[in-house]
Amino acid sequence: MKCADVQRVLPEVIEDLQDGELEAHLRSCPACSELVADLKLISSEARQLSASDEPAPRVWVRIAAELRAEGLIREPEAAAPATPRRGWSAWWLVPVAAALLAGASYLVSHKQAPQVAQQQTPAAATPVTSAPASQAPAVVAQAPAAKVSPQQKANHRTEVAEGPSPEDEQFLSEVGQRAPTMRATYENQLRAVNAYIQEAQAYVDRNPDDEDARQLLMEAYQQKAMLYRMALEHVQ
Amino acid sequence: MESTQRTAVAGLILATCLASVAIAESRKEYRFNVGPQANVSVDTRYGAISVKPGSANQVLITATAKSDKVEVESQQNGNRVELGSRLLPGADPQSGRVDYEMLVPPDATVHLRSSTGPITADGLQGDVTLEGADAPVDARNQRRGHLVVQTMRGPITLNDVHNGHVEITSISGDIHLNSVTAQLVRVDSTSGKIFYSGDFGLGGDYKFTTHTGDIEALVPATASAEFSAQSLQGQVQNDFPLQPRKHSHISLDATRAFMGTAGKAASGVVMRSFSGKIRLKQR
Repeated sequence: MKCADVQRVLPEVIEDLQDGELEAHLRSCPACSELVADLKLISSEARQLSASDEPAPRVWVRIAAELRAEGLIREPEAAAPATPRRGWSAWWLVPVAAALLAGASYLVSHKQAPQVAQQQTPAAATPVTSAPASQAPAVVAQAPAAKVSPQQKANHRTEVAEGPSPEDEQFLSEVGQRAPTMRATYENQLRAVNAYIQEAQAYVDRNPDDEDARQLLMEAYQQKAMLYRMALEHVQ
Repeated sequence: MESTQRTAVAGLILATCLASVAIAESRKEYRFNVGPQANVSVDTRYGAISVKPGSANQVLITATAKSDKVEVESQQNGNRVELGSRLLPGADPQSGRVDYEMLVPPDATVHLRSSTGPITADGLQGDVTLEGADAPVDARNQRRGHLVVQTMRGPITLNDVHNGHVEITSISGDIHLNSVTAQLVRVDSTSGKIFYSGDFGLGGDYKFTTHTGDIEALVPATASAEFSAQSLQGQVQNDFPLQPRKHSHISLDATRAFMGTAGKAASGVVMRSFSGKIRLKQR
């Protein structure tokens, strides 16, 4: 048996070297004998490795990068484009509606800082024709960060109150395309609900400890979410 | 003679028109065998839907399509039955209309949806969901179950609904509740008005909420409930004799809120509006 023969069969017999020819060669060949000894050591050490000894992810990433560089692995082919869904691809309404409810939940549950003025000032009687209720999550994000004064909040609301929100515009555009006869109806209802949200929000800002006002604001958001859902289900 | 001829011609024309309508309109009956607690849903963009209790193990639906511009699709998967109207090119609210008349097992879960309606549910005992953008909705004689009604502008009327959960939501449709008692009653509206006539039962929780819509409750002298009414920027009016709540140290603006109890305060009634008027009256 020659050294090349030993190296060829060694992986299969490393655990149990019972071959007579192999043993005879190992006795006479220091190189192959040393190789076998090293392999046995590695094998025994490997059994004692624990899960915590798993190489860091960066190791595998580096290995994969090197394999790609050598052309040994290729990226999988891009998946075939999905068949276009029938009907209106307006499932974005669902996360928007969910975001509205999530924002409303945050508003209702969050307590304003004590520095907010307690004076009850009557809100404007005239409802705003459109209000970016979908901006509420952004407003919510600002509230806990700093002690925003009611005046700052009012200014912010004035800025965002001018014109419908992008989501509302897209909503009405979709309705107008899919069901032109329903657009005016949805537009009117949306205007009413946005006015509800805006007035309730303004009241909550002035009276942050008024739990009933918070509940009304929550109801307003739920009404809007219902409107979006109705449009999604009926205008397909 | 001449008038007779004119009458004959007019009659012939009328008969022709009616015949053409009859030809375009098609009526089809669907029967489904189901087990207990069947699930039945009907969805049509245009058309009326009415449902009543029928046989305990069969769903019978009669669909009347007004033209050939709309098709009715049906599907049954075990205990679940679904029917829907599919509009064809050129359909409009008239030609795309399909009216459904349904008989379902009394304990069936029913889900009806129509943009135009009307939608009518009478005598059911299971969970019922009625939805319609502009559809007038009428639910009556319901016992047990969870009743959910949602409209955008469609008016909602409930008569004789007892023992269950009731959730009503309308953005601008008026809501009338006559003899409605349940463990939980939630009525929400933006600009629609809420009218309640009844005694609020014994032991339920009632909550009516609006933005600008008025809320009015007409209650008999024998009612047993705890009332709490508040309009943040509107007015309240109490024409019912109430006892002040015990241990209540809350000072209220009498023009904006009132609280009190009647009888043994078995039920809880909360009426809230942002700027609508709230009124409690004795029947």
